[in-house]
Amino acid sequence: MYEVRFHGRGGQGAVMAAQALASAAFKEGYYAVAFPYFGAERRGAPVLAFTRMDKQKIRRKNQVYNPSFVVILDDRLIDLVNVSEGLNPSGAAVVNTRKSPEEIDLGMEIKVGVVDATSVALEVLGVPITNSAILGAFAKTTGVVSIEAVEEGIRDIFGGRIGKEAGEKNAKAARVAYDRTVVGTSRGEKKMVSKKQWLPTVQELPLGLATRSMETDAGLVGPGSFVENKTGSWRTFKPVFNRDKCVMCLLCWFYCPEGAIKRVDGGKTLEFDFDYCKGCGICAEECPTKAIEMVRD
Amino acid sequence: MINIKDLPDEELFTAGHTACPGCGVALVVRNLMKVLGKDTVVYLPANCLLVFSATYPLDAFKVPYLHLLFENSAVAAGAIRRALKRLGKEHVNVVALAGDGGTADIGMQALSGAAERNEDIIYVMVDNEAYMNTGIQRSGSTPFGAWTTTTPVGKKIMGKTEHKKDVMKIMMAHDVPYAATASPAFPADMLKKFEKAKNKEGFRFLQIYTTCPTGWRAPSEKTITLAKMAVETGIFPLLEYENGLLTVNYRPKGKYTLEEYLKIQGRFRHFTPEMVEEVKRWIDMRWKWIRTIEEGQKVVSGGE
Ligand SMILES: Cc1ncc(C[n+]2csc(CCOP(=O)(O)OP(=O)(O)O)c2C)c(N)n1
Ligand code: SF4
Ligand code: SF4
Ligand code: SF4
Repeated sequence: MYEVRFHGRGGQGAVMAAQALASAAFKEGYYAVAFPYFGAERRGAPVLAFTRMDKQKIRRKNQVYNPSFVVILDDRLIDLVNVSEGLNPSGAAVVNTRKSPEEIDLGMEIKVGVVDATSVALEVLGVPITNSAILGAFAKTTGVVSIEAVEEGIRDIFGGRIGKEAGEKNAKAARVAYDRTVVGTSRGEKKMVSKKQWLPTVQELPLGLATRSMETDAGLVGPGSFVENKTGSWRTFKPVFNRDKCVMCLLCWFYCPEGAIKRVDGGKTLEFDFDYCKGCGICAEECPTKAIEMVRD
Repeated sequence: MINIKDLPDEELFTAGHTACPGCGVALVVRNLMKVLGKDTVVYLPANCLLVFSATYPLDAFKVPYLHLLFENSAVAAGAIRRALKRLGKEHVNVVALAGDGGTADIGMQALSGAAERNEDIIYVMVDNEAYMNTGIQRSGSTPFGAWTTTTPVGKKIMGKTEHKKDVMKIMMAHDVPYAATASPAFPADMLKKFEKAKNKEGFRFLQIYTTCPTGWRAPSEKTITLAKMAVETGIFPLLEYENGLLTVNYRPKGKYTLEEYLKIQGRFRHFTPEMVEEVKRWIDMRWKWIRTIEEGQKVVSGGE
């Protein structure tokens, strides 16, 4: 049995990718299932999806803990999530990245296929949604399913969901990515650690769960503790600020949903906090003097 | 009167929350908290805001918040207020931040009861026009024709078959001390309303237009553009109800057409010319009512 774990971001369509892969596997004569990790993740937040493929009927219904393959839709997730957790050393990883295989450190030396799926998606689809392109890289890297089957799977799942024409375009994105995928071996130097969770004992658990603001060995908890969660890696585009054009009307400062724009220098100018900016583009859109421009991050 | 420039730098609603990029709810709540200040207790029912900013033990609010249920925001906030009074903490603001589903539908009886008892709280209807947290289901506040997962577009129906429920009117019918609608694209107006709500006593109601790029299938950078267009097309009027009198805070100047507003949003993509006409008819009908009240008020106060 092959088990695949997709690491994506909410809104990137990791679940659809998992389904299209299952459909491709089915066309190759496998039994296949695909399912998401159930959570409350918003667009941009790290998410998981899974595919299982086997020549026999699949009776296993749990999450995938020991994947044969991991598919990483955004290489910045490698620093956020333990993407190689439980990964079978004789398996492979597929990564959307501008880096070469040798520059990818997964905490283990393992076969890795890389492709700049974001550029492929922007070229072929016009939007930075990489769930179809990455499947082309999957076919190239693993050989478990052919690129033809992947194209069929995409036409099947994407076509049914977002229209025939869009399905065709997405199949094309997979083909382009297939041709551009480079396969090599990752480095294994980094220590991959899963993020610790705050697990207080019954005695420590506050009455009514009324948690004070506290520093714990898993980081901050309680009021204001969300600052721990650096959302800057969600960006595809980033604002570039031209100080000379700015008239300090403060509209961007007011409108930023993240509070990622700061008044500095005694209120004379602005600073952008890229630890948190999600690249929504509101600031650039609303700036009356066009002092902010969005560029590919 | 408070201006953008007067808002404090300190974020009482911190960064790091997990709202979608361009979320209108996060944008509004962040600024609301700046106006309300540190001495505030927040009540959150189940909604997007709770899930992106208050997933225990992580918390974006630097003030205390309480979460109990989806359907009882106004009552729970009222109870917090009464408890604070007992403790002699009369100066603390109590605010409930409920979604449109949590207000127009499931929270309505609690809301109506609390308004009738004139509970001393601020109740904010964060209006993103559908149940977003659970994946875009239609609410009473979803506009006519909008696609949602429970009002699909197909042969039998083309999106929601009913018009948006007018919760502002319902609150006016309760004769609450203060009720207003606001849009973040009109910052001075919105901040004025936040401040008024903060400084008044008794039941205060705010309905805020909060763009949801994800649920409306709109580009994230258009959040404010849409909030501007909604007011300019007359589909979301800026109103204030105070001392029994209705005020129109902004008269649409027709800077945008309804067609432009609908076009940016995927949820309206399937609109036929007839559906556009139907929305126009509805807008005209509501403005006629608003003007009738305005004129009537003039006649009555002139005759006194
Ligand atoms: C009694 C009850 N029914 C259903 C739910 C599931 N639920 C949680 S949030 C939510 C939707 C909230 O929608 P809305 O109030 O419009 O707020 P939004 O998420 O759109 O901001 C639902 C249905 C619940 N928590 N409790
Ligand atoms: S792009 Fe969006 S998140 Fe980033 S600074 Fe501008 S408004 Fe804030
Ligand atoms: S909106 Fe533009 S002009 Fe105004 S403060 Fe921001 S960058 Fe400066
Ligand atoms: S679904 Fe809509 S309301 Fe919810 S976090 Fe995303 S943009 Fe905001």
